[in-house]
Amino acid sequence: MDAFNGLMSGFQVAFSLQGILFVFIGVFVGTFIGMMPGLGPISAIAIMIPITYSMDPTVALVMMAGVYYGAIFGGSSSSILLNAPGVAGTVATAFDGYPMAQQGKAGKALAIAAIASFTGGTVSVILLMLFTPILSAVAVSFGPAEYFALMFLGLTAISSLSDGSTIKAFISATLGFMVVTIGIDSQTGTSRFTFGNPNLLEGIDFLVIALGLFALAEVSTLVLNRKDTTMNDNKDLGSLRISKEDFKEMSGPMTRQSFLGFLIGVLPGAGATIASFIAYITEKKLAKKPEEFGKGSIKGLAAPETANNAATGGAFVPLLSLGIPGSGTTAVLLGAFLVLGVQPGPLLIQDRPEVFWGIIASMYVGNIFLLILNLPLIPYIAKVLRIPRPLLISLVIIFSLIGVYAISFNTFDLYMLVVFGIIGFLMRMFSFPAAPFILAFILGGMMEQAFRQTLTISNGSLAIFLDKPIALTLIVVSLLTILVPLYTGRRKLKVNNEDHTGKTL
Amino acid sequence: MKKFLATAAAFTMLLAAGCSNQSSGETGKSGENGDWKPTQPIEITAPAGPGGGWDTTARMVSQVFEQEKMIEKRLPVVNKAGGGGAIGWAYIAGKKESEHHMFVASPPLVLVPLNGQSEYGYEDFTPLANVIADYGAFVVKADAKWNNLNDLFEDMKKDPTSVSVIGTSSPGSMDHMQFVKIAKAAGVDVTKIKYISDPDAGGLTAVLNGSVDVYTTGVAETIEQVKAGKIKVLGITSEERLEGEVLSDFQTAKEQGIDETFVNWRGFFGPPGMDPAAVKYYEEKFKELSDSPAWDEIRKKYGWGELYMDSKEYSEFLKKEAEDMEALLKELGLAR
Repeated sequence: MDAFNGLMSGFQVAFSLQGILFVFIGVFVGTFIGMMPGLGPISAIAIMIPITYSMDPTVALVMMAGVYYGAIFGGSSSSILLNAPGVAGTVATAFDGYPMAQQGKAGKALAIAAIASFTGGTVSVILLMLFTPILSAVAVSFGPAEYFALMFLGLTAISSLSDGSTIKAFISATLGFMVVTIGIDSQTGTSRFTFGNPNLLEGIDFLVIALGLFALAEVSTLVLNRKDTTMNDNKDLGSLRISKEDFKEMSGPMTRQSFLGFLIGVLPGAGATIASFIAYITEKKLAKKPEEFGKGSIKGLAAPETANNAATGGAFVPLLSLGIPGSGTTAVLLGAFLVLGVQPGPLLIQDRPEVFWGIIASMYVGNIFLLILNLPLIPYIAKVLRIPRPLLISLVIIFSLIGVYAISFNTFDLYMLVVFGIIGFLMRMFSFPAAPFILAFILGGMMEQAFRQTLTISNGSLAIFLDKPIALTLIVVSLLTILVPLYTGRRKLKVNNEDHTGKTL
Repeated sequence: MKKFLATAAAFTMLLAAGCSNQSSGETGKSGENGDWKPTQPIEITAPAGPGGGWDTTARMVSQVFEQEKMIEKRLPVVNKAGGGGAIGWAYIAGKKESEHHMFVASPPLVLVPLNGQSEYGYEDFTPLANVIADYGAFVVKADAKWNNLNDLFEDMKKDPTSVSVIGTSSPGSMDHMQFVKIAKAAGVDVTKIKYISDPDAGGLTAVLNGSVDVYTTGVAETIEQVKAGKIKVLGITSEERLEGEVLSDFQTAKEQGIDETFVNWRGFFGPPGMDPAAVKYYEEKFKELSDSPAWDEIRKKYGWGELYMDSKEYSEFLKKEAEDMEALLKELGLAR
């Protein structure tokens, strides 16, 4: 009953004129910034902090939360339309979203993304409201060993991200692993592969890799194939309509991934990126036609989009209930809380119920705003594709450069971007998939760190993974996802061979 | 041809972006009688991204100087992230003799160069004034078997590898060194301490779920969790007890018989070779800031302690800090 009263007082905040206005401003600014390739939720929140200095803390935080999930919501557009994922959480969106846009179904892709985001966002708010106190225990249950196991599970996606040669996918992933080791090694403080260059000490930023391998490589291919007119013809926006069949196809992934995404989001450090990748692989494993994935599958688009938004809601659990920021973005958000004199933590619900429930209640409102805001805007957003090719290419290049420059205002990053653009282009020419590279880059760093932390704790003994039930379960599941397809594949091969020999006899 | 143009366009943009970074920054001349006043906006560099300790300090200082009209010019804050500060320091080192640039610094300015990760160190810059101080806290889960630092160090003296310690920064940097400094004074073999770094700030989580035993962090970060009864603070690194709710309950290492302290100082530095008249000007302005009620309010809000030092005191303090740290890092085999 307490929670109910709390929620009601929260709705009072959210439905006050001021509340509605600032939720709207928050989600609007968030979507807008999120749409720019290269500007993600971190920059969106950092930009907004100074504006909130003199505001009422509850209203200000409601707005900041809106900026956060608004940016995740908006982030899908650049992935779908330009193959330029601006944040790690929307990389998986590009896998099927961009092919759909290329097939002339951009409008539909954006509509699917919007609905999936809305569903993920709304379900996660409900879960957040119901289970925050219980889930705070889950949030801290993951130690380094469990994280290692979770990353390991995520990595099994490599084999499913290759549409051609599995060996090429593994080579690509190995490159990703190699690149992520550049920089200061967190466990010893030694610099690795920096060649004495201070610009490399903090490693290479995710955005440099994502925009280089995806956006710039795509642009180079477009320039190279400029005479290929077949691609010019289907630059239609396509209809926004989602048919009954489409909706049926989406509903499975949306339901499952809302819950899974939220749960992964609750774990500090895992967040939207891992949620979206894991959503993508689980749906591919469950799908009746996994071969459609990567070629514009509706499921393949709906799954990561649902999951990354659901994870955003999940990320509020450790932030609000424990005061633990789970990601770079929530860390900046925590900073925003502190500036306003609100200390998130175990005592927040008691001490500042209006803030706690206000934020949750405003998220219902915010998600509805996002849907209303985004659906009618889709035709306009999708018009990006109508921009004449040479202009569009220059725009993508400019946005990529700005996005990368905005990370640290360092020109060195721009040269790195060009280098990765070239690598991405060459990989494409020789049909090495870029997705395993970026997956290995994102997960590899965290995985190595978790592995070494675990071994330091256990004094070097691997037995620690057997002692931890969650870690053990995750590792067994990962091994099964690798081994079972190998086994069934071999059996199929055998059956085929027998057929073959039977015929010749 | 089109392809060539596209590439050329891309490079032109790169060049343009490159150039814009290097302009700006002239020197203001000091008056005849040694008085100096800023003649243009003063750029404060935070050698890290937005949101962290350096950035917050720089922004708050800028805000108070401007709002309280202590300095008549604007003081924009610029973020130069990268290399644990090294990128920002190289940037300021390039502003030699400018009177209109300064940056915010703390112990990493001493530690990072000693780790061999920056070619510039504190001695390359002009110390203006120290403004605030924070202290380290050593934290364990509320139901841990240790109740004070002596309990913990007793176990660690027997077997240093039986206890795992986690912090945010990498080995040889602040969180690690504050623990090592105190543990060494207590007689622990510091070369065998199991230190785990979690740059994603997962230290608290790791202690709460029992993966790791001790969390070494800043005092302010512990208050909320102590209030909630989830963790206990075994000891803090300040000279004397701190003031404030909860804070005043924390025992210092000193009162537990371990004669050692660690100060997470935070102050401001100018570029190499700054005009002494300008240094004097800034010294006075920082003193005025430090004594103002507006700054006192900000200190309380963020849980920072007061620690003003003028340029001369600061230089001497830093020299001693650097010697202490170098000796410790050498012992750990981390000095380069």
